[in-house]
Amino acid sequence: MQTILLAQQEKNSKPILNNLAAINIPPLVKGSFNIIAPFWPLKNLIAVNPLQGLEDMPIEEALKTGSAYFQQRELPKNMETVNRQTIKWLQVYFDQGQATLAMPLRRAGLYAAWRKLAIYDVKLHDNDDQKKKWLKLLPNTAEQAIVECLLNLDIGHEDREIFLKLLLTSLPGWSSYIKYRTEWAGLDFADQHPVTQADYLAIRLIITSLLWPEAKALLEWHKKAQAETKINPLEQIQKTENNYRLALLEKLSAQPLQALHTPEAQWVFCIDVRSEPFRRALEAAGDYQTFGFAGFFGLPVQITDSITGESYASCPVLLSPKHDVKESLCTHEGYEQDRKGYQRLINLKRLYQSLKYTFTTPFALVESLGIISGACLGLRTLAPSVAAKIKLTLMGMLRKPMDVKPSLDGIMFAEQCVYAEGALRMIGLTHHFAPLVVLCGHGSTTQNNAYATGLDCGACGGRHGAPNARILAAILNCLEVRKQLIKKGIHIPKNTHFIAALHNTTTDEVTLYNHQESADIEKLKKSLEKAKVTNSLVRLHQMQKSTTAAKAASYTRLRSQDWAQVRPEWGLARNAAFIVAPRDLTASLNLEGRCFLHSYDHAADPETKFLTTILTAPMIVAQWINAQYLFSTLDNVAYGSGSKITQNITGKIGIMQGNASDLMTGLPLQSVYSSDTEVYHELQRLMTVVYAPRKMLDPIISSQPILQKLFRNGWVQLACIEPENRTTYLLNRDLTWKNTD
Amino acid sequence: MINQTVTTLFHLDVLAALMMALVSFLGVCVASFAYRYMKGDSQYISFFIQLILLIASILVMVSADHLLLLFSAWCMSNILLVRLMVHKSNWKAAQASGKLATKNYLLGGGCVAGAFMIFYGLSGETSIQALLRQDNSSSFMLLALILLLIGAMTQSAIYPFHRWLTSSLNSPTPASAIMHAGLVNGGGFLLARFAPLYLKHSHLLTVIFVVGIITALVGSLWKLLQNDVKRMLACSTMGQMGFMLAQCGLGLFPAAVAHLVWHGMFKAYLFLASGSSAQEKRFDLAYPPAPLTFICALICAAAGSFTFGFSSDNSWLSGNSTLVIMVVAFLAAAQFSLPILRSKNLRHFLFALITTGMMGLIYGGSVRLMTESMEPMHFMQPQPLNGFYIAGIIVMSLAWLSILFIRNSSKTAEPPIWMLKNYVAALNASQPHPNTVTAHRNHYRYL
Repeated sequence: MQTILLAQQEKNSKPILNNLAAINIPPLVKGSFNIIAPFWPLKNLIAVNPLQGLEDMPIEEALKTGSAYFQQRELPKNMETVNRQTIKWLQVYFDQGQATLAMPLRRAGLYAAWRKLAIYDVKLHDNDDQKKKWLKLLPNTAEQAIVECLLNLDIGHEDREIFLKLLLTSLPGWSSYIKYRTEWAGLDFADQHPVTQADYLAIRLIITSLLWPEAKALLEWHKKAQAETKINPLEQIQKTENNYRLALLEKLSAQPLQALHTPEAQWVFCIDVRSEPFRRALEAAGDYQTFGFAGFFGLPVQITDSITGESYASCPVLLSPKHDVKESLCTHEGYEQDRKGYQRLINLKRLYQSLKYTFTTPFALVESLGIISGACLGLRTLAPSVAAKIKLTLMGMLRKPMDVKPSLDGIMFAEQCVYAEGALRMIGLTHHFAPLVVLCGHGSTTQNNAYATGLDCGACGGRHGAPNARILAAILNCLEVRKQLIKKGIHIPKNTHFIAALHNTTTDEVTLYNHQESADIEKLKKSLEKAKVTNSLVRLHQMQKSTTAAKAASYTRLRSQDWAQVRPEWGLARNAAFIVAPRDLTASLNLEGRCFLHSYDHAADPETKFLTTILTAPMIVAQWINAQYLFSTLDNVAYGSGSKITQNITGKIGIMQGNASDLMTGLPLQSVYSSDTEVYHELQRLMTVVYAPRKMLDPIISSQPILQKLFRNGWVQLACIEPENRTTYLLNRDLTWKNTD
Repeated sequence: MINQTVTTLFHLDVLAALMMALVSFLGVCVASFAYRYMKGDSQYISFFIQLILLIASILVMVSADHLLLLFSAWCMSNILLVRLMVHKSNWKAAQASGKLATKNYLLGGGCVAGAFMIFYGLSGETSIQALLRQDNSSSFMLLALILLLIGAMTQSAIYPFHRWLTSSLNSPTPASAIMHAGLVNGGGFLLARFAPLYLKHSHLLTVIFVVGIITALVGSLWKLLQNDVKRMLACSTMGQMGFMLAQCGLGLFPAAVAHLVWHGMFKAYLFLASGSSAQEKRFDLAYPPAPLTFICALICAAAGSFTFGFSSDNSWLSGNSTLVIMVVAFLAAAQFSLPILRSKNLRHFLFALITTGMMGLIYGGSVRLMTESMEPMHFMQPQPLNGFYIAGIIVMSLAWLSILFIRNSSKTAEPPIWMLKNYVAALNASQPHPNTVTAHRNHYRYL
């Protein structure tokens, strides 16, 4: 092998240059990464279809191809050796603050930094002089290294892309993280530790060349894998789907539209499936009308905290933020007080970290903190709610939680009007305004949960939705904006007030922001209290805990406070359908928290502008979520992340199993299974139901390639309820309609 | 009759009581945690049975007076621990972790068995207390103590017997918690139990100190390098156990036991809380500190070590091995005052001075609490200073300074070659055993 390596290197550069010309690297790299879906880090987990790269195929074929690439039970032994070394280096390079002594040189980029260290890695060169020399003389660019290694490994021209694909799919989780970093991370990692797809492939190839020169055999191995026939899981899935879908369509089409009236309050919730049972419970508690809308309220914003200076994109990952909105405290004194509180908190943490992350002093640290950690251990384990109360009190003393408000300077007035009008029209709230309109984002509260952000609002990029709700409420409360809206035909009465709120999906508590106390608000709060109890009872039942109404709320709260709780809430498990229709069609049905509900009034959308947006944005997000739950359930090892009890967080970015492993993408076992053997999530693909005439849908489908891809290939089932006669249709895979009767 | 059997089999002293209290408390906490955490697990019931048996066998081990009983409980707890480690028994990597640990325990168990047989051969006693009262200075006794030391080292993951511990993270989190807070303490306990014999061999104490300090340094360095939370905690345990052993080597057995207890609580908490490590944000500590800040920190440290000495009944001028403890307190006090001194003004200096002094008091008090309670055991016997102890002090101080002043920083220019070389070497040395890594994703099993 060494002779081959050196022969390549020592030949004058001419043949290599020739070969370089012959192999066009960038498309090869890009092409091989096509099969990989991105993986968002733990700080904002976003649901993704693990077979996203195969969506161009019919789902039957994608499942088969996916199985050949991702679900192989065995891997050639030598490839395991290569994986071990790859994992070791990726762990150190992509560390986001776990290690105190981080990998040196990281600012230079993955390939450049690694190359300088790899020459000292005995595990790679095994003290073999020739291998050492080869490592030292590696080309300057990753692309050149890829060429050199492909030649060394003797990979034929036509096999190159597939070989690179195999190098990626034999360690799929880490490849997914690189896909995220290179195509989706946006500004998040702009100046830190750069990486390119070529960097990664170069390293992977170099390690392979050193540890398994005969890696060409991987191609044969893959051919065998492709030839294997596997049981098609789709048959079982289709059975469940058919039963569910037809029954749902029948029920929906039978619901009458209600006469218009002005309710006491209107509530706008996120389309998230967890909103549905809560909306139902709330509607039962008073004269309320509720709407469903993407939880970022149509605002592509980046939120900046004026105290910490941190900012993040608070919109779907499909969009990039257009405006930077600062959130700050309502008063100057409040600001000063909060800044000091934050400083106190940081100082304490800094003190602890300074003693913990160095030599010698941790020995003294454990001796002085032992008794305190013993107390915390006992309290958090044996009395989680007491521990939570103590923590709340202590935190309140250090940094009192205070109301914040957004500054709208980052959004120009004209744009504010556009967002205001768009939001109201999209959900059909353009008339009969109630005196109170609550814009309700959502978020979760869990302890000791690596997947915490996975339970937050996906439409807000895996964050709490409150900031967006506050921004839209501020815009809609602005009198100037309302004046402009009148010109557009939307008349918001003077006495209508918009309030921002946050629905805590773990506890079903709703927090109202920046409101004056009044009798009306009191009434809302009472209704919220009732809805909380109703929904807590239902949810506890789903978690196999039967209890009384009096205790329900405290049990759900306990789940959010308990650091040993691995199933604090069921998240979006059992999701099955995306319904685009007025609430009247769903209001009197118990949809069991299985449906995304988007409010829509086709009569108010003659140009189908809003419907197009709904189908190409929120529906895509719903499809990503649906596919993630589906595949994490189907194979929790290959597409999910396994049991939480043996998980290990690496680099603060992701999960490994045990000592070290592939980066475990997807949902943990506990999110989709009620026990190691019992499935909780139901295996179903998404059905999108639209209450609008087919003649509105057809042009949208034919103009949107992404919709054609999803419908044609069987990833999503489209259904239509004709408003005129309430007949229901399903879209066939050839994009023709089929009457369901 | 039964009463008599109990008294010949068991011996309840402060050491046993302390260890029993620690293990029972941790046992209750870990079991209660696992009761919710492991819900739905296919081995739920057997996990609890094994956990309860494990805790019971540790309780027997720490209170046993009969050599054979102690040995049986020792083996029993290790067998049960391995079973808990290999909880997901179809997962190859978990099996490999179990195998590695078993090999280590076999070696350790063999050494302990050998030591016990020599004890019995020399004294004809099966009671540990009777054995400790005997005076025997034959070279066989030394051999037995060395064997016992090796047994203790395997149990407490002391270099070079550490690898099973840093490769043990395929275990469920609660099993790791009980392992790092309870089981690794076995080595320290064993040395403390036979402390009177070790105290008669000061050369052996120096050896114990040296292996302890080496492990403390290696474990600390590896801990600072790790990128995943659990391996970081495992390397940290290794370092802490090294320090504990070094305390034994100083003749300060009560201090070592205190360290075991406090570390046990601390580490159990951190393991159970490891799910939140992604949320922990690391803050820049602005190293290296400005010279003036550093000098102020040293002044604060002097105050802190003085109050520590006051409340823990130690002094700079004792001229014996407690000097090492004073130095550690001094370094910790300096490190404690550094973040407070970040903004350089007089007011902050006074504040730092006072808080450091107070922390010294608290720290000293917490050590005193333990050592006083172990007074009746008479195994607090500081040794006269020797070159090794001084070397240990110097090495620990230099290591501390190195983080403050020459820590590699990605912000500055390229680090020197020796640093790169050592980085890679340390990174490789701290990797888990290859077989315990899940190198192919689909080899992972949850059933």
